Amino acid sequence: MKRTVDVSFPVGPVHPCWKEPARVKCETRGEYVVSAEVELGYMKKGIERIMKGRPWQEVMFLAERVCGICSVIHNMVFIEALEHISGIDVPRRAALLRVIVNELDRMQSHLLANFSYCYTIEHETLAMYLLDVREKVMDQLERITGARVTCAYIVPGGVRFDLRPEDAQALRLSLSAIGEEVMRYTDMFANGPLIALRSRGIGILTKEAAREAYAVGPTARASGLGDIDRRLRHPTYQSLGFSPIVRTEGDNYARIMVRFQEIAQSIGLIQKCLDELPAGPIRGGGIPGAGEIAYSMEAPRGELTYFVRTDAAGRVLEISIQTPSIMNIEACCHYMLTGVSSLADVTSTFVSSDPCIACTER
Amino acid sequence: MTILQKVKNFVRSRSIHVAYVDVGSCNGCDIEVLACLSPRYDIEQYGIFVHNNPREADILLVIGAYTPGWEEKLRGLWEKIPPPKAAIAIGNCPISGCLFARPHTLVDPPVAKHIPIAAQVPGCPPRPTEILSAILSVAPTIFADYEVKTK
Repeated sequence: MKRTVDVSFPVGPVHPCWKEPARVKCETRGEYVVSAEVELGYMKKGIERIMKGRPWQEVMFLAERVCGICSVIHNMVFIEALEHISGIDVPRRAALLRVIVNELDRMQSHLLANFSYCYTIEHETLAMYLLDVREKVMDQLERITGARVTCAYIVPGGVRFDLRPEDAQALRLSLSAIGEEVMRYTDMFANGPLIALRSRGIGILTKEAAREAYAVGPTARASGLGDIDRRLRHPTYQSLGFSPIVRTEGDNYARIMVRFQEIAQSIGLIQKCLDELPAGPIRGGGIPGAGEIAYSMEAPRGELTYFVRTDAAGRVLEISIQTPSIMNIEACCHYMLTGVSSLADVTSTFVSSDPCIACTER
Repeated sequence: MTILQKVKNFVRSRSIHVAYVDVGSCNGCDIEVLACLSPRYDIEQYGIFVHNNPREADILLVIGAYTPGWEEKLRGLWEKIPPPKAAIAIGNCPISGCLFARPHTLVDPPVAKHIPIAAQVPGCPPRPTEILSAILSVAPTIFADYEVKTK
């Protein structure tokens, strides 16, 4: 069939709405987007090539810098993969502290994603509110781990620092304040008539399309796929009674609302961890040894898999990382952007899938 | 100094337009630049506006360790910015490559090889306050009396 295309419209690589460079090429008829392609390659650093042949003590810090937004989960997946290879046990206190830090990281990542979306649809007030809440979350992250972004908190056999009682108290107080604010902003987003005009029914990813495109994370959960959440298979999360949040609309609105609801869920999980936190050691013994494993866990953007092969000295012989954003970017370009009726919605739809170019290209 | 120059200096000190470009970082510095926008640090109270539009920018924040994808493009971006202009390297990556400058890497640090860098903010990542103070300390040295200096 012959296709009529008016304009080939490139967006990016430097664009006011985007945090990172990526180029989306849209073929449009009028303002109706017929098809879209993404062009990557501005951020390829070759982290996996650097990692090969290095001891795990160095790879741990490199793994964290695959993605600066979700650095804790990269650290956690790499270290837990090493622990599975070598059979290192983690004390219960350390396992719960890992969940606390991971969920704080998820909260700040989701708040940043929702900030970007609100900024893109030019609801700057809500965007600034969300960025302000994010600073409170970052404070708690810094209080526990000692750093804002790249904290290297998780080490084989446990975590680096203990949670002092006064820090736990401050965390509880701060969480209840954050929870109230997030609830207020969720209401603002859910009931805002102008937000609904820019969000509802735009960039629809149906359940079948999400399955075909292997969408992961909040993007897939907003399209009705709940069972893809890897936290369901993590023993610590299982013991906390975790169940994923699923919505069925599959549009921009649903993707942002899933993130808002997950922030509230993360607050609940952290409070549960603080209630259950037993006294005891935060580090077990054990030295990483030889073996290979493919280990997955749920990053803020979806399923993150590390394939690691190590030798007896703990050197990483082979490593390959599968990050969530690549699937979501493909789902976004081939399913969500097709049929978007206005060019202004191209950027907001792309941002709503929360693309992280740094970890896509590594 | 003429009165016109005084007026220009005053206006320029309160209207610094910033664009940022990520030439291959881990994203950590990007989100610290974004955190500067938040009401806590409130970058706009100092008259700094983050547009991310190079054609109306005065200061370019360069983040990341220069990947091959940016060859020619970064230079072109720098030339799009109208003078007076300055580039600030944010984080360790544009200064030294940080931990990406290892054997088998694809990056080509430092960024100062490719465009002139006026100031450097080390850190992995630097705090938002450090980024803010770097912009504020560079701006007067570049923009004050620009017409007199270039005459």
